[in-house]
Amino acid sequence: MADTGFIPKEKWGAFIEGLSTKAQVYVPCLEGDTVLFRPFGKEKTLCFERPANSPPKSVIFPQSDTLFSFTFIKDPDNPQKTEVELKEHLDFPKTIVIGSRPCDAKGFTVYDRPYTETDTPDPYYKGRREKTTIVTMTCNSPSAGCFCTAVGGSPADKEGSDALITEVEKGYFIEALTEKGKEILQGPGVEDGKAYQGDATKKQEAVHSMVKNPFGPKGLGKVSPELFDNDEFWDNAVSKCVSCGACTYLCPTCYCFNITDEQTSDKGERIRTWDGCMYVHFTLEASGHNPRPTKFQRFKNRVGHKFSFYPEKYNGVIACCGCGRCIRYCPMSVDISEIVSNLQGA
Amino acid sequence: MSEIAPKELRIVGFLCNWCSYGGADTAGVSRFRQPTDLRIIRVPCSGRVDPLFIVKALLNGADGVLVSGCHPRDCHYTDGNFYARRRLEMLKQLLPYLGIDEKRFHYTWISASEGQRWQKTVTDFTNQIHKLGPLHSTTEAHSGS
Amino acid sequence: MGPEKMKEIITDVLKDVDVVIGYKQGFDKLHATPCFINKAEQIEEIIWSPVCVQNLASFLPSLKAKKVGVVVKGCDSRTIVQYMQEGLIDRSKVVVVGIPCTGVVSVKKVLDKVNHQPIEDVVFEADGAILVKTPAGETKLSLADVSPDKCSTCLYPTPVVYDHLAAEPIKSVKAPEDVYKDVEEFEGKSLEERKVYWEKEFDRCIRCYACRNACPMCVCQDSCIAESRDPHWISQKSNLSEKFMFHMIHSIHLAGRCVECGECERVCPMGIPVNALKKKLNHDMKALYNYEPGVNPEDKPPMYTFSVEEKKIEEHKL
Repeated sequence: MADTGFIPKEKWGAFIEGLSTKAQVYVPCLEGDTVLFRPFGKEKTLCFERPANSPPKSVIFPQSDTLFSFTFIKDPDNPQKTEVELKEHLDFPKTIVIGSRPCDAKGFTVYDRPYTETDTPDPYYKGRREKTTIVTMTCNSPSAGCFCTAVGGSPADKEGSDALITEVEKGYFIEALTEKGKEILQGPGVEDGKAYQGDATKKQEAVHSMVKNPFGPKGLGKVSPELFDNDEFWDNAVSKCVSCGACTYLCPTCYCFNITDEQTSDKGERIRTWDGCMYVHFTLEASGHNPRPTKFQRFKNRVGHKFSFYPEKYNGVIACCGCGRCIRYCPMSVDISEIVSNLQGA
Repeated sequence: MSEIAPKELRIVGFLCNWCSYGGADTAGVSRFRQPTDLRIIRVPCSGRVDPLFIVKALLNGADGVLVSGCHPRDCHYTDGNFYARRRLEMLKQLLPYLGIDEKRFHYTWISASEGQRWQKTVTDFTNQIHKLGPLHSTTEAHSGS
Repeated sequence: MGPEKMKEIITDVLKDVDVVIGYKQGFDKLHATPCFINKAEQIEEIIWSPVCVQNLASFLPSLKAKKVGVVVKGCDSRTIVQYMQEGLIDRSKVVVVGIPCTGVVSVKKVLDKVNHQPIEDVVFEADGAILVKTPAGETKLSLADVSPDKCSTCLYPTPVVYDHLAAEPIKSVKAPEDVYKDVEEFEGKSLEERKVYWEKEFDRCIRCYACRNACPMCVCQDSCIAESRDPHWISQKSNLSEKFMFHMIHSIHLAGRCVECGECERVCPMGIPVNALKKKLNHDMKALYNYEPGVNPEDKPPMYTFSVEEKKIEEHKL
């Protein structure tokens, strides 16, 4: 079986529709001015021209995930006795994400290390991850705030994807990268791709040079420990931050969560929901003590996690994919790349 | 309408302890016939009723919400109901903007001695809600909680 | 209107305040970012142009302990008046540098016009035209076409409160009756249409709380009831009713307080028109109590007071 394929422009819609008969397909859809990943439907307006406002992370790591449901059952003969009935939610459908960006796909590899590549993998994340095929699309052009090439990515990066699609003049060139990706080539209307390989490579290289590098010619260096622990540096750097969590919720590599029980009368659910270190309640302890009471401490943690703690733990891998969403959508235009740049010291 | 009572709907009533709650009691003691859809929550004053109580009730399964306090100038705490009036009127006008029929929410003033007035209000409001029907589909109402 | 006069004023102001909040260029030419100036050499960074969109007055309550200078546009200045009405700032510790403003840009609208290409340069010409350069070429836009909706009905181009003014005052040429036209138009839709509209819009909400945290009047900040477990107003579930409830909390707490700076809507990463709810409330406050937030420091917000005889509230009949 060939590892490449080609879909002519006119068959693109039918291709996606065809895949949607075999799996749950998520595609970037235009709603108003906003692009976001939604389950495919014929009535949707698809938009592949620019990166979605939010990455497809919720497909594998939902914003709110029911881990299990529980019901308290009273013994009618002995009201003192209550039994708990549990129902786990581990049934995940086969899913295909089409049109994620290389940065989005790379984000999942950042999740994989703590969630699957450990002795105690997370069954919810792992289950969805295994059932999901990530079909990434090469970026046509960078967006405001993008800096993927400066953190080891590229507009045509293959890491984390099962297949990579590159738009060429007459259609879409597909390169399968994994076994799951090869299945995509069986979709309707896929032709032999060999003839388009050259065009695709040319396109991929052209976009690469357009991405800005905020870290200067030397690239991203080591974070200076003196600056990193300098409170004044952080206080100045983030005085404009309003401490919302848009940056963390839109981040393809932020994976923190909260677990709560939501119960009404005798029934309830244990849910896992997104949480973010930018929120004051994130570290609030039951005693009332909060180890990170100020916004600069919280911001420091966000930068530290991505550019210092995570790389220390996982062989120097930076937990930032350079998608630029935290910069683009920041209410106050706080620029993480500028802060990291300043953190490198002299 | 058929002779058989239609299925009960969920109506939440926030009643001031010093007047309407007593009014409802008066109606009960006087054995006035009343519909049974209303669930009463006793509050110390209509001024205690945060408009968000009403929104929360409507979002989480209530089909209608009734707030009743002391007549203006008769507030046990002098001016709680004056504040309530402004807040509740604000909400009354906001609800239809969100696509929620303002008829699902009613606020009124009933004193402890007005058992008859209470009976009429509760009957009329319940009828009004029944005319509108349930606000939620059954599945939606449960998932919202 | 260049930033030169403003720089002069700020140089002066800086002598007797701890910090001046102004604008500097952000990560590209289309984005300004707030800058906190406490050293004279930072003054050179200051810019003023229609990309200066943020409401800098929002930072004032959190800097109450300091003496602060702040750069405000007409719309933002209403925030300061509202803070004064509610006793949230000490006016004697705030130095207001007002900028008469002819309108700002909506970044979303500009990006839409240039197909979301990366911005290489933005030039504002004297006649109100904007030249936006992207890798795809140069696009000429007019400010009126890419301004946020609030600018098209702005009644206060010159700040309503200031200690220094960075340019000649500008008179509004907009009709007051147009301010709430959009509200009245939306009210023309059927109940069902309105319900469907909001359900669709709120469905996109990710509860990042950008709208709340950027809102100058959301002064509870870390104590917001949206995040409290006890009382448990809303859970962390991401279903429609929880999202809806969050926006109700935000809106209702702003009834008769929203100064219509539009920050909530501007910062929403999901493009939800959240400001429309607050405008509706303001529309009603005007109709019921003839109250307009953030205009007169002596006014009292309508939800903080009452009249024994409410002239405009009629008893509702069943």
